[in-house]
Amino acid sequence: MFLVQVIAMQLLLAETSNSQRLENVKVTIKVEEASLAEVFEKLEEATEFIFGYNKRTISKNDRLSMDFSKESLDKILVKISKETGLKFRMINNTISVTKKERKKDAVIEEQVADVALSGKVLDENAQPLPGVNITIKGTSSGALTDIDGNFKISVPGPETILIFSYVGYIAQEVVVGSQTTIDINLELDAKQLDELVVTALGIEREASTLTYAQQTVDGGEITKARDINFLNSLSGRTAGVEIKKSSSGPGGSTRVLLRGDKSLTGDSQPLFVIDGIPMANNRGGQPGMWGGVDGGDGMSQINPDDIESISILKGSNAAALYGSQGANGVVLITTKKGKSGAAKVNFSTGLTFESVLLKPDLQYKYGAIGGIKESWDTNPGNYDDNYVDDFFRTGTNKINSVSISGGTDKTQAYFSFANVSATGIMTNNTYGRNNITFKQSTSLLKDKMKISSSVMLASEKAENRPAAGYYLNALTGLYRFPRERDYRVFKDNPTVNDPDRNVEVMNWFVVDHHQSNPWFILEGQPSVNQTKRVISSLNLDYQLSDKLSIALRGNIDFADKLNETQYASGGNTTNIHPNGRWDYSKFTDELAYTDAILKYNDNFGDFSLGVIAGSSYQKTTFGKGVSVNTGTNGLLYANEYYFQNLPQIVQVNSTISSELIKQAVFVNTTLGFRDMFYIDFAGRNDWASSLAGTGNESYFYPSVGFSGILSQIFSMPEPITFAKFRVSLNRVGNEVPYNFITPSNSVAASGGVTRNTVQPGENLKPEIITTREFGTNWRFLDDRIGFDFTYYNITSKDQFLSVAALAGSGYNSRWINIGEINNKGIEIIVDGTPIFTSNFKWKTAINFSKNVNKVISADPNNEENFLSTGSSEGYIAQFRAGGSIGDIYTLSFQRDDQGRILLDTDTGTPLRTASNEHEKNYRGNLNPVWSLGWTNSLDYKNFSLNFIVNGKFGGKAVSKTEAMLDEAGVSKRTADDRDQGFTAINAVRDGATVTQIDPEDYYRTIGGRNGIMEPYVYSRTSVRITQLALSYNTKLTSLNLPVSFSIVGQNLLFLYIDAPFDPELAMSTNRNSQSLDNFNVPATRTIGFNINISF
Amino acid sequence: MKKNIFIYTTVLAFLFSGCTDDFLETNTNPYQISDESLRQDNNHVGAFFPTMLGNIFGDQIEHNLAHDSWARHLGTPTPFVGGINNTTYYIRWNTYWNRCYNSVFSPSRRVIEIAEAEGNDVFVAWARLLRILSASRLSAYHGPIIYTDYGSLENTINYDSEETLYNTWFAELDDIVATFTANSDFGGMSAFDASYGGDIPKWIKFANSLRLRLAMRISKVAPALAKTQGEKAIAAAGGLIMTAGDDFKIKLYAGFFPPARISFGWGDTRMSATMESVLVGYEDGRISKYFDPATDNTLYPDHPNYPYKGIRNGALLVAKDDRLTFSNISSDFNPTTSDGFRRCFMSAEVHFLLAEAALRGWAGAGSAQEHYEQGIKDSFAEWGAAGAADYLADDTKTPIDYNDPKAEGDVNDFVSRMTVTVKWDDAADNELKLEKIMTQKWIAAYMNTIEIWVDHRRTGYPKLPFNYKNDSNADWGVIAKDANGKTTDFLRRLPFVNAERNNNTAGVADATTKLGGPDEIGTRLWWDTGGPNFP
Repeated sequence: MFLVQVIAMQLLLAETSNSQRLENVKVTIKVEEASLAEVFEKLEEATEFIFGYNKRTISKNDRLSMDFSKESLDKILVKISKETGLKFRMINNTISVTKKERKKDAVIEEQVADVALSGKVLDENAQPLPGVNITIKGTSSGALTDIDGNFKISVPGPETILIFSYVGYIAQEVVVGSQTTIDINLELDAKQLDELVVTALGIEREASTLTYAQQTVDGGEITKARDINFLNSLSGRTAGVEIKKSSSGPGGSTRVLLRGDKSLTGDSQPLFVIDGIPMANNRGGQPGMWGGVDGGDGMSQINPDDIESISILKGSNAAALYGSQGANGVVLITTKKGKSGAAKVNFSTGLTFESVLLKPDLQYKYGAIGGIKESWDTNPGNYDDNYVDDFFRTGTNKINSVSISGGTDKTQAYFSFANVSATGIMTNNTYGRNNITFKQSTSLLKDKMKISSSVMLASEKAENRPAAGYYLNALTGLYRFPRERDYRVFKDNPTVNDPDRNVEVMNWFVVDHHQSNPWFILEGQPSVNQTKRVISSLNLDYQLSDKLSIALRGNIDFADKLNETQYASGGNTTNIHPNGRWDYSKFTDELAYTDAILKYNDNFGDFSLGVIAGSSYQKTTFGKGVSVNTGTNGLLYANEYYFQNLPQIVQVNSTISSELIKQAVFVNTTLGFRDMFYIDFAGRNDWASSLAGTGNESYFYPSVGFSGILSQIFSMPEPITFAKFRVSLNRVGNEVPYNFITPSNSVAASGGVTRNTVQPGENLKPEIITTREFGTNWRFLDDRIGFDFTYYNITSKDQFLSVAALAGSGYNSRWINIGEINNKGIEIIVDGTPIFTSNFKWKTAINFSKNVNKVISADPNNEENFLSTGSSEGYIAQFRAGGSIGDIYTLSFQRDDQGRILLDTDTGTPLRTASNEHEKNYRGNLNPVWSLGWTNSLDYKNFSLNFIVNGKFGGKAVSKTEAMLDEAGVSKRTADDRDQGFTAINAVRDGATVTQIDPEDYYRTIGGRNGIMEPYVYSRTSVRITQLALSYNTKLTSLNLPVSFSIVGQNLLFLYIDAPFDPELAMSTNRNSQSLDNFNVPATRTIGFNINISF
Repeated sequence: MKKNIFIYTTVLAFLFSGCTDDFLETNTNPYQISDESLRQDNNHVGAFFPTMLGNIFGDQIEHNLAHDSWARHLGTPTPFVGGINNTTYYIRWNTYWNRCYNSVFSPSRRVIEIAEAEGNDVFVAWARLLRILSASRLSAYHGPIIYTDYGSLENTINYDSEETLYNTWFAELDDIVATFTANSDFGGMSAFDASYGGDIPKWIKFANSLRLRLAMRISKVAPALAKTQGEKAIAAAGGLIMTAGDDFKIKLYAGFFPPARISFGWGDTRMSATMESVLVGYEDGRISKYFDPATDNTLYPDHPNYPYKGIRNGALLVAKDDRLTFSNISSDFNPTTSDGFRRCFMSAEVHFLLAEAALRGWAGAGSAQEHYEQGIKDSFAEWGAAGAADYLADDTKTPIDYNDPKAEGDVNDFVSRMTVTVKWDDAADNELKLEKIMTQKWIAAYMNTIEIWVDHRRTGYPKLPFNYKNDSNADWGVIAKDANGKTTDFLRRLPFVNAERNNNTAGVADATTKLGGPDEIGTRLWWDTGGPNFP
C-alpha cells in the first residue's frame, strides 16, 4: 500500500462538552530516540486515548526524546507536532494523527460526540481501519474509528446520511435508516493525489512534488482481464501510451510507444524497469510483407500476478537516472513484496476461451473455371461455405497462480508460482509458461540496514506461432482456395507420396509461391520459441544517519533462448528446398546492472532538500549464440534437422546482436519551499562503449523541472481541493548502436571473405532528445473530480542515419548524425466519481491523447529523399522532411480533373499511378490522430463491474489481404458484384463516361500483389470494449475467506470499425509495416472466468 | 563526517573500478574477421577473390530481368509491378552499379592497397583484371562510369568518358599481362582461384581475350584503336581462349545456380519466344540442352516435333500462371551436386570475335569461315549437343514466326525478322556474314548474355523482335514507337542510378555531358554509333 494520509478533512469543530479535555489529561512519559509508534504506544498506556494513524503517515526516521512529568497531553502533542509536522484530532477517546498540510492548520482539534450508533470500518483486506472520519452529512459533527476500526456516533434521525472518509480510500455515504450498527468496507482509491509514486531507480516520491507527467496503474487492474502478456492490459488505461498486440496468438510480443516515434531508424521502445532496475525486453524477429513469425518479447515472461503496480513515465524525464535507455519513456514495474504479519495466501485460477472476432468477408458461391487458382466463374454453384470457419478452433487460456507472503517485523518474504497453458485458434499453436518468484527482505543492525533479494524464474515455450505475410502462411491457401474444389481432399491428405523419391510432399492443387496447403503448413513446419530466464537481484540499504542513506544494488537478467522451425521437404519451392529447410537459433541474452546511490534529505526552515547521487554500471550482451538457416540451400538428407545434415554451402553462424557497457554518474536535487514550490535539477554523465574511439564516449546532459502547488500558495475557493502546475525541460543523449565504429569483414559461405562495406563511424556522437513539458492538475469537490493536462514538445536531433558513402570511399554506406524529428502533443485525464452511495459506486476516467509527429529534416544530401518504414508492392510507408513517420503512399487510380477514374483505352481497366508519383499516391498516416480510453468501475453491493472502452480516431490502415482476395475472386464483394452483373464505377474511357465495369476486369486490376492499393486503405478508427470484468466478492462462510468470482473478457466487441481487420492488432511489433494486414491471424475475442481466494 | 568520507570513497572506488579501457573491445564483433587476422595465409589479399568473382554476375533484377530479357534469351511469365517494369522499358530496378562498386571495387581496392604495399604484384594485377571485367560490364549498362576517380573522397566524383575508360583498360591490360607473364609460375593464387586453380598462363589467355572483346566493342566508333588493340590481342604471346580447356568459368562455390532458383523455385523465368523461334527454326540440337519441353502439349501446334514454348520479351502479361507451363530452363541446371559454375568467357565467343575480326581485316585473325564454324562446333561440344556437322551444312532453315497461345488475337505474336541460314556463304557480303556470325554468337551465349546485348546494340544483329509492350515515357526516356504504337527500337542503356543522381549531382551532370545525350534509356552509348557496320 503506497497511500498515505495527507489531505485532512477540514471540519468545523463541534462544540465540546464537559468530557475530558486534552489539557486536563496529565501524563508522565520518558523516552529517548523513540519512534513515533513507540511514543504513541506509551501515551496509549498512560491515558484512555487511542491513537489512530496510518503507518505510512509517520516517518520511520522521526526519533523523539521527551521527558515530561505530569504534563498536559495537549502540550505534549504540540511538542510532537513541532518536531514532526503532525496534527491531531480528538473525537471522544480517539486521537487521529495526520500530516499537517498548511501552516495555519490547527495542531489539535477536539470534539465530543454522543453515542447512539456504532459499527466497524474495515479496509480492502478486511482489516480494521483506524482513524476513519465519520461525518453527518450537512453538519460538522462526526466521529473517528478507533484502533480496532470501531466507532460510535449519535445521529439526529433515520434520514441521516453518514460519510465515511479516509484518505487513500474511496469515501462512502450511508443512509442510517433503522440500523443501529453499521459495518462497512472502505475501498482503496488508486487515484489519490498524494500517493507516493515510484519514480526512476525505484525511488518513491510524493506525486505532488513531481515536475513531470506520470501515470500509475494498480496491479489489480492489470490482472483483471487475465491477458498472458500484462502489457496488453495497459491498453486504454493511460493517456499517451499506444499499445499494439501482436496478431501471433498467445504469448506474442507487444508494441509500446509513448508519445510517438522519435527516431528515424529505431523503434522508439520505452525502457522497462523492474523494482528500479532496467530489464531486457528484446523482441524476436517480426513478420513482414513476405512472411515471418513473431518471435515474442521479454515482457511476456513476467508473471502479471507478481505486479504490485506499474508507473509510466511518458517523457524522458527519467533519463537523468536511467540514461539514454529512458529517452523514449520508462515503464516502471513494482512487484509485490512480503508483508509482515501472518502469512497471506492468494490463489487465483482462470480459464478463458478465445474465438475469432473479425475475419474477412468471403464468398462461397462462385468457383474457378478450368482449374485455375482464381474463382471467377459467373455461374453460381453449391459449394462448401464452412471450411474456413471450421479451420479455426476455440483457443483456451488457463492461468493459475498462487502467492504466499508474510514475515516478521524484521524479515518478510514473498513467494509465488504461476502456470499458464494456452492454445491458439490455429491447430498446433500452443503456449506454456511457468513462473516462480521468491523475494525476501531483512532488517539488521537496529533496522539501519536492510537487505533484500529477489529471484524470478520464467520458463516459456510457444509452439507453432502462426505466420503472417505471403509466404508459408496457412491463411493464403485457405482463403484463396478455389471454391469449386473439394477442400477435404487436401485436408485429409496434406501430403502425397512422390514415387520417384519415396518422399512425402505437399498435396496442393497448384505450385504457387503465395499459397500452400494450409493443413500441410500446420503440420509440416513445426516451430518452437523457447525462453528460460532468471532475473535475480540483491539490494542493500544502509541508513547512515537520519538524513543520509546509501543503497547498493546488483542485478542479473539472464535468458536462454531457442527458436527453431523445421520445414518439411516437399513444401513451397520458393522458400523450401526439396529436402526441407531448417531455421535454428540458440542464444543467450544477458544484462548485468549495478548501482550505488546516496540519498540525502534535510529541512532548512521553510526549505526542504533532497539529493540523490550515484553511479551505475550496466553491461548487456544480447543474442550471443549460434544460428543456421538453410533457406533454399537444402539439407543433405530429407527431413533431418541437425548440424551433421547441413550441406557445405550452408553457414553455421556464431551470432551476437549487441554488447554494450554503460557507466554513469548522476545527481538529482529536489529543492522544496513550504510544500508550495519544488525545483528539480538533474545531471548525468554517461560513458558508452559503443562510442569508443570517437572521442565522444563521455557525454553529459542536464534537466530541470519546476512545480508549484497553487492550492498551497493561494487560498482556493471551496470546490478546488488541489491545484498544481509543473514545467520541465530536459535533455538526453543516446549512444550509437553496437559495432558502428569498427565494423569488420565477415566470412562468406563461399569460403571467401566479404569485405565490410560500412564506413567506420569514427565521427559519430550521441543523439540528443530535448523535451519541454508543461502540465497542470486539479482536483475538485473533495477529490470527486480530477483533471490533468500535459503538453509536451520533443525534439530529437543528431539521429543516426545510414546514408550512401561517398562512392570513392570504398564503402557502401556510412552512419552520420543528422535529421530532426519533432513530436508534440497533449494528454488529458479526467476522472470522477459520479455516483457514490453506500451500495452503489461508479468511478470513471477518460484518457485522451493526441500526438503530432513531424520530420523536420531527414536525409541531409537530399531532403526530397524518402526513408522507408516498410514498403512492398503498392504499400509504401515512407517519409521525408515535412512529412511524418507513418506516412502511407499507395499506388492509386489515375483520375481526370473531375476525379473520374481513367480507364485504359485498349483494355477498359483502371489505370494506376506510377510508384514515384508521390503526391498522387499520398493516402494519409498510419498513426491515429487521437486516442481515447474510457475506464469504468462500478460497485454494487458485492458485485463489481470493470470495463474499458478504447477508441482510436483517424489515421489509416492498409489491407493487402483484401487486395489478394479480390484478385482471387473470393471476397464477398466480388460475389455481390457478380450477382448484380457489374461493378459500379465513376470512370472515363476515351472521353466517354463509364459507370459499370466487369467485376473480374475490375478486381483483377485493382487487386493482387501489384494492383491499385488505393481502395484497400481504410480508416483506422475503431472503438471497442477492450476489457470487461464482472466480479462477485464474497466470503466462504465456513472459513471466512474472501473469495472473488469474475467473468472476464478481452476485446469483446467493436462499437465501431471501418477496416475489415483489426488495425490495433500488429502484424509486426517493430516500427515497420504498421497497420498492415497481410493474411494476419484474425482478431479474437476472449471470454472466461476467474476465481480468486485469499487467506 | 567520517561516515561521509567512507561513502564517497566507496562510490568513487565503485565508479572507477570499471574504467573505459575495455570499451573498444566490447564494441567489436568477435565473429567478424579483422584485417589483422586475415594476414594469416595471405588471406588479407586472397580471401576477397571468391566474393569478387561471385559478384561479376547479377541475380534476378540486374541480370535475369535485365539483359537476359533485353537480349531475348529468357522471358518472364510474371507481370512484375503491374506488368510495368524494366522488361517493358519502365525502369524499376537499377542495381548492378551497387553490386559492382560494393562487392568488386571495394574489396579490390583494399587488395590493391595491401598488395602494392607488400610488393605482391600478381595480386595487384589479378584484382585489377577483375575490376576491368566488372567495370566493362557496368559500362555496358550506363556508358560513363566512375573508374579513374574511384577512391576520391570529394563530394563530387567525376565519371570517365567511355573513350577514357577503354584507353585506360587497354593500358591496364598491358601492365597486367606483363606482370602475369613475368610471374607465370607464381603459385600464390591457387588457394583462392576456383576458376583456373591459380594457373597464370590461363589468366593471361583470359586477359588477352578480354582485350579482344573490348577492342571489338569499339570497332565502329574508334576503328584505328580497335584494330591496334585487337591485333595486339591476337598476336599476344600468351594466346587466347581457343579451346574448352581454357574456358573462363566462375565457380558457384557450392551455391545455388541463380537462374535455377529463379526458374524452378520462383517460377519467374522461362524460355524466350525468340529462342523458340531460332532454335526450332534451325532445328538446333542445343535446344534440349538449354530448355525443358513445355509441360502443356497444346502450346506448340505449329511444331509438334519440337515440344518447346517460349514467352515473348516485353509481352503483355495478365497473370503469372498463364505461362508457367512454358519451357523451363533445362533441369540439368537444377543442382543436385555442388560443382556448379557460371560461364563468363568461352572459346566459342573468341572464335566468333575472330570471325568478325577477319571481316574487319585485322591482321592475324585468320579465316572468318573457319572461326565461324569452329565457334559453332565449340558451342555444340560445350553443351554436349549432337549434329553440328548437319547444322553447319543447312542452307534452308530459318527462324520461325511466333504465336503466343495464351494471348488473344495477335497479341504478343511476331513475324521473325531473322532470315539468315546457318551455312556459311563465302561469297556473301560482309553485312550478311556479320549477321550470321552475330546470330550464332547469340545462340552460343546462353547463360552469358551481357556481351550479346552489347553486340546487338552495336551491330543490330541478330534481328531480334521488338517489345510488344513498351511502357517507356518521359520519366526515364522514350523508346520509339511507330504511328500504330508498335515499338521500333530497343532499350539502349540504363540511367545513372538514383543514389548518384541525388548524392553526386555535379558528377552525374558531368557524366551526362560525357554521355553525349540525355541521361535516358534511349540514349546510345559511345560504341553504339547507329552507323553502318562496315566503312
